[in-house]
Amino acid sequence: MTEQSIPFGADASDAVDAGGKYVYCIIRHDRLRDFGNVGIGGGRRVYTVHHEDLAAVVSDTPIVIYDPTRENVLAHEFVNETVMREFTVIPMSFGTVFRSEDDVSELLRSTYRAFTDVLEKMQDKIEFGLKVLWDREKVVTKIEQENDEIRRLKDEITRNAASSTYFARMQLGRLVEGAMEEAGNRYVSDIHEALKSVAVASRSNKVIGDRMIANSAFLVDRSREREFDEVVREISRKYEDVLTFKYTGPWPPYNFVNIKLKLEKAN
Amino acid sequence: MGLLSSILLAPFTGPWSGTMWTLDKVQRTVEEQLSDDTPIKEDLMNLQLALEMGDVDDEEYVRREAEIMQRLREVREWREKLGKGNAGGPVRVARQDDSE
Repeated sequence: MTEQSIPFGADASDAVDAGGKYVYCIIRHDRLRDFGNVGIGGGRRVYTVHHEDLAAVVSDTPIVIYDPTRENVLAHEFVNETVMREFTVIPMSFGTVFRSEDDVSELLRSTYRAFTDVLEKMQDKIEFGLKVLWDREKVVTKIEQENDEIRRLKDEITRNAASSTYFARMQLGRLVEGAMEEAGNRYVSDIHEALKSVAVASRSNKVIGDRMIANSAFLVDRSREREFDEVVREISRKYEDVLTFKYTGPWPPYNFVNIKLKLEKAN
Repeated sequence: MGLLSSILLAPFTGPWSGTMWTLDKVQRTVEEQLSDDTPIKEDLMNLQLALEMGDVDDEEYVRREAEIMQRLREVREWREKLGKGNAGGPVRVARQDDSE
């Protein structure tokens, strides 16, 4: 079996539709609902497929693998954001394509209990993302100001530049590294501690690149959204001299829904 | 490996099995590298972060994204050839009689 890939820059609408459904998310709703022409692959109609009181939010698609380009990912996100304004959603991961409407109904039918449970737990919950990056040089400067031992050793090395030993420099390097790690851990735990009180749950993801010290997701009750915002603002002010905060959301609870679907490749 | 194993195996066995294992391992490592999309996805995340931080402009983003998509597609083709599954693409729900 070979899957058809969409060439870069090409539009999914160039390929022939074979009744495939791109699934964005699952919601609780028992009537057909149209979300407008905002779907992936060039503004396709986004609508619902039902089983009892559950609905999958879908758009028609050829049977293809979608590249995770910014354009495609934004289209996926945009639909979920639109749906989220009115519904509690269980987001599907990017690129989930079903062969037919029947397969989508089968998904809802066979996973009905799990979906219903999770929808209940996620009722009125939203996710925020917080990435924290540091400026290494500024952190080093700060450490040198605050750590007496490091400052003394550094002064000594600078004063006796010619005679200072390799080992003294090594020792300084090690001390700075250790202090950096400690500072990083302290920043991250301080931030998490502050946000824990206004979030329902949090999750730490792998950091990206060498400047990031935290890549976290927070599950927040809608009623506390403003409070959460306020705390993020406070903490970013507190550390504005050394840290950069990338604050995003609200997202559907991608990081807090973990339903392992028993899916297999369609033939 | 067909030709290679017949050369290596005839008329000896024994000491050659070590070589066989090594070749087999090399082949497996190569296959793993050809079909692993983790580093590519990491590159994509790095690129996205760079755009968010203003370290790359839109034009450069589009150019590098196209490169990354090309690499992803190559890995997908390799996975296809090696009989490994690809994430994304069409799926169907396993029926109840399929479940253990």
